[in-house]
Amino acid sequence: MMLGYFGRYLRVDLVHGATPVAIAEETLRSLIGGVGLGTALLMRETRARFDPLGPDACVVFAFSPFVGTSITTSAKLAVVSKSPLTGRLNDALSSSDFAIAGKRSGHDAIVLRGRAEEPSVVLIDGERVRIERCADLWGTGESVSSVDATLSKRYPGYHFAVIGVAGENLVRYAGICNGGRHAGRGGLGAVLGAMRIKAVGVRGKQPVTVADPKRLVDIARDLARRSLGPATEKYRELGTIANLAAFNRLAALPTKNFQESTFEGAEALSGETLTRTRALGKSSCRTCTIGCEHFFAAPGGKRVKLEYESLFALGPLCGIDDPDVTLAAALRCDELGLDTISAGGTIAFAMECNERGLLSHPDLRFGNGQALLAMLDDIAHGKSELGRLLQQGSRAAAERIGPPAPDFAPHVKGLEIPGYEPRALQTMALGFAVGSRGADHNKSGAYEVDFSERVDRFAPSLEAVAMAVDTENRAALIDSLILCKFLRGVFDDLYVEAAEALNAITGVPFDAAELRAVAERIVLMKKLFNLREGWTRDEDRLPRRFTSEALEQGVARGAIVDETRLDALIEAYYEARGWRRDGTVPEQTIAQSGL
Amino acid sequence: MIRIELFGVPRLRAECDVVDVDAETLGGALRELERACPALSPGVVADGRLSQAYLVALNGRQFTSDPETALRDGDVLVLVSAQAGG
Repeated sequence: MMLGYFGRYLRVDLVHGATPVAIAEETLRSLIGGVGLGTALLMRETRARFDPLGPDACVVFAFSPFVGTSITTSAKLAVVSKSPLTGRLNDALSSSDFAIAGKRSGHDAIVLRGRAEEPSVVLIDGERVRIERCADLWGTGESVSSVDATLSKRYPGYHFAVIGVAGENLVRYAGICNGGRHAGRGGLGAVLGAMRIKAVGVRGKQPVTVADPKRLVDIARDLARRSLGPATEKYRELGTIANLAAFNRLAALPTKNFQESTFEGAEALSGETLTRTRALGKSSCRTCTIGCEHFFAAPGGKRVKLEYESLFALGPLCGIDDPDVTLAAALRCDELGLDTISAGGTIAFAMECNERGLLSHPDLRFGNGQALLAMLDDIAHGKSELGRLLQQGSRAAAERIGPPAPDFAPHVKGLEIPGYEPRALQTMALGFAVGSRGADHNKSGAYEVDFSERVDRFAPSLEAVAMAVDTENRAALIDSLILCKFLRGVFDDLYVEAAEALNAITGVPFDAAELRAVAERIVLMKKLFNLREGWTRDEDRLPRRFTSEALEQGVARGAIVDETRLDALIEAYYEARGWRRDGTVPEQTIAQSGL
Repeated sequence: MIRIELFGVPRLRAECDVVDVDAETLGGALRELERACPALSPGVVADGRLSQAYLVALNGRQFTSDPETALRDGDVLVLVSAQAGG
């Protein structure tokens, strides 16, 4: 058996009990862990076209050979399921103690399936699994952090992944929170909610054994040293919120539901301003040397961790320029267990519908902070008819509202678009269109190509495709090792260095070429899952707004996504992946991948 | 005159948003920036070249790092982090 692994996963069937299941060494070597392993287990444990909120649903918490080692940022896990928001693969990453404790339970992954009879907590202590009723924690409206604190007191030594009110009420963009970190996107919290699982607790004492501890210490030290260099300076000094002012200047800041790409109130919300006026300190995930978490003062003396995606979605996207409102909204999303991007995106969409007369709400307009805050609670609790409609996300809400709402619902495959304006970052437009999870800045780093001198970001040529593919492959590997993506600029050669670390951990001679093949295999496997669940070519496109409405402000004035060019980029992407022109996958490509 | 707009860490280090310089090339403008804001050297700019962690967008549109890039009076250089991850 390769070291660094336990060679098994724990299947927790909420009806029939828990069973350890062996994982073949070949599977681990070919997919590494994290998202790769999680996707494989999801495919194994489910039948085609299952309902992600039904009794056959399944959630995979997947670890990796790096978890539990001293490699910086390695305390991570992947949470993989079918998204109730998109109906497609959903793979989210989270960090810190839950990952380490989960791995030390003696498993490379934990698979939850079935549905508990009553609201429950799953407790995993090594091989011992208990399913404890927790009716007192369900439907109370308590914040995620409060529930986590209660559980930690009730069950000492466990680390918990918890859902909030939004997950209980099956909001299709409810997330899962562990120790202040979030597997945020795609509605994983709703999947657990449908299983009637309020929380999963893990603890364990199994040591993680590695093949060459001395070599691994050398590798970890070297990487930690480089992690404090210029490539991570932005994250350390300002955090991701540094993006806001720069994106505004480059006319790439989604504003008022993507009607504009610059925001007149950007300065008040900028990372530079918030750092000068409201910074309270910073922190990091377990084992991380970067420390990108920045905390800010929110109304009521509260302390909020803020990321760019929350800032843009609950600020400019909703026309909000009051930092008090945006910080309070970010905090409220965390308390309710809502994905900030989809919450902001869906509410911004509703604001535009309301301003166009497609909805009738007295207050829900761009710039109305109190309406934004009230709507977050309405959505999480499902208080009003509109709140219940918006629980479904912008795609489903647009379909219900009817034309022309689907033209400006801000999603791809149902997943709301993150804070990168596609008309100003058109390699990213390709990344959004073909993303297996939908509009996604974590699985495709195509914006890196736009932020370079290699392409014209307003009109990329076909040469951009290979660069976009490369960022997607790298992300697939990083998500499977698992490491933090903020390290990516630190590596001289990700594949070479990852192979060296895997050699030291597992004792198996990985090399860069093998890991390049692993990355491509993982991307392909995600595609095959989507095909199994009914993917069609029509899903790989952007909302009509981006191909029919030119931007009017700033340096992006006149920018529009040329549909013919985007289609050509998409076809070239399929070709680069060895897929057919219609995006389906030939048997030969599957066979060559080793899947 | 060339205007250099600073964002993120460079803005915090330099303690200003904008620096105006006289230069005919990108390299010349960056040398002037280094002279005007010593706090940016060597982490952000050194000897007329940007650190790999930073980028300049000429007039906010096309990113460039070639020090020979010709500048015209009134051009604006937008200096941002090369790490756009969020």
